[in-house]
Amino acid sequence: MAKEENDDDLRGRLDSLSTALDAQQKASQERNAVTGQTEEAGRSLAKAMNLGFRVLTEFVAAIGVGGLIGWKLDDWLKTSPLFLIVFLAIGTAAGFWSVYRIASQPTGGPGGSR
Amino acid sequence: MAEQTIDPIHQFHIDRIFEWHPFGIDASFTNASLFMLIIVLLAALLMIAGTSSRSLVPGRLQSAAEMTYEFVANTVHLSAGHDGMRFFPFVFSLFLFVLFSNLIGLVPYTFTVTSQIIVTFALAGFVISLVIVYGLFRHGLHFLKLFAPSGVSIFLAPFLILIEIISFLSRPISLSVRLFANMLAGHITLKVMGGFVAALLGAGAYAVIAPLPLLMVVILTAFELLVALLQAYVFAILTCVYLNDAIHPGH
Repeated sequence: MAKEENDDDLRGRLDSLSTALDAQQKASQERNAVTGQTEEAGRSLAKAMNLGFRVLTEFVAAIGVGGLIGWKLDDWLKTSPLFLIVFLAIGTAAGFWSVYRIASQPTGGPGGSR
Repeated sequence: MAEQTIDPIHQFHIDRIFEWHPFGIDASFTNASLFMLIIVLLAALLMIAGTSSRSLVPGRLQSAAEMTYEFVANTVHLSAGHDGMRFFPFVFSLFLFVLFSNLIGLVPYTFTVTSQIIVTFALAGFVISLVIVYGLFRHGLHFLKLFAPSGVSIFLAPFLILIEIISFLSRPISLSVRLFANMLAGHITLKVMGGFVAALLGAGAYAVIAPLPLLMVVILTAFELLVALLQAYVFAILTCVYLNDAIHPGH
């Protein structure tokens, strides 16, 4: 008699334990989903900002280099402002070209080869 | 002291620790040199201490060292191919240097080496010089095919070659400016926000809203940590992409 009672007792405790475990698991899953989402959002924001900054620096740097070359050529050949204008235009084209190259990359990895 | 907390540029000031002027060149040992030394020592320490135990089940330090190694090795392999692995030591050192200088810069009262454009420009210039020298050494004049797009009419070709050359020359500038600007802007923003806290605390009744910029500082610090890691990664991966051009100059 005493043994059966013990079994019932044990079964009851097991049931309560498994429901508690289920609840715990569900809660942790939900928590993971929420933090996963925020983490994902943070990472994609960082990636997007990084890409934007890359495009910005490539574009500005190309124009800057073009302008610098034109300025120095003018300085050297005394043809101001012919080469400055020409090379600024070419630098702008080069900037667009760099941006196009970044944008046309397959989306596999950031900055894979061309 | 109050001046120092308000001035956000003060943290980038270079102080000479030992004055030394050989042949009229200012080669003094500055706080920037000191922190470069610290960075190199810490990076070396991580690698040496991390690989000294060589246990099968890695400890904390060993797994940090191994993860860094594998991460950079994967990056190099993916973006520069098998031949690119000969540049792995170079890229790995570069990555560790930039990473440690970004991370150390986040500690208060330290100096951020990568917030000086001359440092980042020296690194980027070194990368581009390596690309040019290795490309010419390995492929000779075939390396110049990098600038000649294939399948273009002969009238358009000179124009496109010029564009390619300018685009190539702008690489070290964009590489260095990106890292420098990210670190500089982040540190100035942090300092300005910190200055707001101090200024609001000293402004009588307005001290009530002082926790708001403090909260912003906390958020920005986390964001800066992300930026520090990301910029080191971007610097490494773009180095690999450029080295890939030197290894395989054909399009």
